[in-house]
Amino acid sequence: MFNHKTKNNPVHMLIMDQINDVENCLIQFESFVRASSAPNVSFDTLNTLANGISDAEAVADISLRKMIDSLSGSSFLTATRQDLISIATGCDAVANKCESYAKMSVVQSFVFPGEYSEDLLNIISISREQFDVLRKSISLLFSDFGGLLKDHSILDEIRKYESQVDAIEESLYERIFKMDITLAEKMQMSDFADKIAELSDIIENLADKIQIMLVTRKA
Amino acid sequence: MIYLLLFAGLFMGWSLGTNDAANAFGTAVATRVVKYRTAVIIIAVLVIVGAFIGGANNIDKVAELSTSNEVIASESQVLEAIKNGVVETLRLKSAIKAAIIFTCAALTVFVMSYLKFPVSANQSITGAIIGWGLFYADYKDPEILAVNLPQIGKFASTWILNPLGAGIISFILVYLFHKFIENKFSSLSHYDKIVKIGYLFAGAFASYSIGVNSSANVTALYYDAAFSKTGVAANLLTDARVAATIGGIAIAIGVLTYSKRVMMTVGGSIADISQMDGFLVIIAMALTVVIMGKWMGIPVSTSQAVVGAVVGAGLTRGLHTVNFGVFKNIAIAWVSSPTVAGLLAYGIAFATQNYSNN
Repeated sequence: MFNHKTKNNPVHMLIMDQINDVENCLIQFESFVRASSAPNVSFDTLNTLANGISDAEAVADISLRKMIDSLSGSSFLTATRQDLISIATGCDAVANKCESYAKMSVVQSFVFPGEYSEDLLNIISISREQFDVLRKSISLLFSDFGGLLKDHSILDEIRKYESQVDAIEESLYERIFKMDITLAEKMQMSDFADKIAELSDIIENLADKIQIMLVTRKA
Repeated sequence: MIYLLLFAGLFMGWSLGTNDAANAFGTAVATRVVKYRTAVIIIAVLVIVGAFIGGANNIDKVAELSTSNEVIASESQVLEAIKNGVVETLRLKSAIKAAIIFTCAALTVFVMSYLKFPVSANQSITGAIIGWGLFYADYKDPEILAVNLPQIGKFASTWILNPLGAGIISFILVYLFHKFIENKFSSLSHYDKIVKIGYLFAGAFASYSIGVNSSANVTALYYDAAFSKTGVAANLLTDARVAATIGGIAIAIGVLTYSKRVMMTVGGSIADISQMDGFLVIIAMALTVVIMGKWMGIPVSTSQAVVGAVVGAGLTRGLHTVNFGVFKNIAIAWVSSPTVAGLLAYGIAFATQNYSNN
């Protein structure tokens, strides 16, 4: 019932393209953090990896603009256009956060001590899984909207991932502030840890946006 | 010159247009589902179509109520005037009485709006007719009582039955939609398409129902119900369909010229219901107004129907979703609009009794 092709399909394709580009940023970011945890890593290597993230972020930006442009030729209602732009810019924030972390890390010549790498990579891995569920839920907006209206438990899954990240983040802070280093160093480390954990927060916020979108459309 | 008195009714029609348009397309325009320009064109056209096709029935009913309340001359009064050669005087008096009734209703709407009380223009007009009749009509006469008491009873019962009916229809529509249709949407774009079509259909239907329902309140008091029997015009208009259509045109002009502000205000205030609920509520309102108008034989308040429909839609999610506090203000409007207009009409009837009797 109610299943036919419309001129809104390009929007669907472009938003999924943008999500793929953001995911590419996440993959490169994971490589960056993994490399930065390796012993004796050179800052030239990290700089190259950071530039790769910037390039990927630029590609994601272009996809975002294309998606926004495509909305003007679509038959989506104004409220839906606003919601889709909000979701797409939210996804873009994930790529921006990756880029920002890598750049600051290179500029400040900062790398986490090796004992933290497992936790950091764990956070990124959970965030990637979380992003993948987000991608599925966004895809459902275009392929099974009625089903998503009826059952949006997929969004709860996204929130569960965020809780896992929170637990790891909290233990990271505790360990950082117990270290025998200066307060400035503790603040710097916790700031970088916070940047990584924010990825999950952003993805969770996007799940909230999708839920609001559903609630306002449910009869 | 006598036709200048028609402007009191036409002004009321214009006022109805500026307000009732919001009930048809307010939510759709405020949430930008439908463009304002598209909305007003649809409303204007369909209000006139509704008035032309279905307005005549209500014209007859309002004219009957007005005759029994001594606002419009009865057949026997017209025949007597013909016999005495004073038909023109009777015609002028009828038109002046109609203008007085409209002035009372308009004053009520103005003062109550100024005092920030919700108000119903439709109810104010009926209230003013009854107020006039309470002074002039012989309520000891069993024949008058036989006409007026059921009419007043019907009028008061619409305060309950109109919102109740809209609430029930709205509840059923929203429940069925939620149960059987909502989960069938394949995509967001489909949902949007259904919402857009739904609002256009609901708004168009509501506009038609406003034309059927409200046009009578604009010109029925200028209608000579006895013309088909006497063959002499004892009021300004002698054809029910023409009268209803003129009423529809007056409402349409109100929609086209000054409805945007009210539409955005009303639409914005109820926009916190979901988009789907929005157009189902409007369909429920329009259905109720048409059914009640047909059943009761008097124009009913579209605003009352909207309130009932919004509550009905909310009840599909449970009692806790309904803000019963709003009922206090609404109840005040439902009772006070016709009461204030009726008292005003009664006062003016008392003050002008010497003129009327001569």
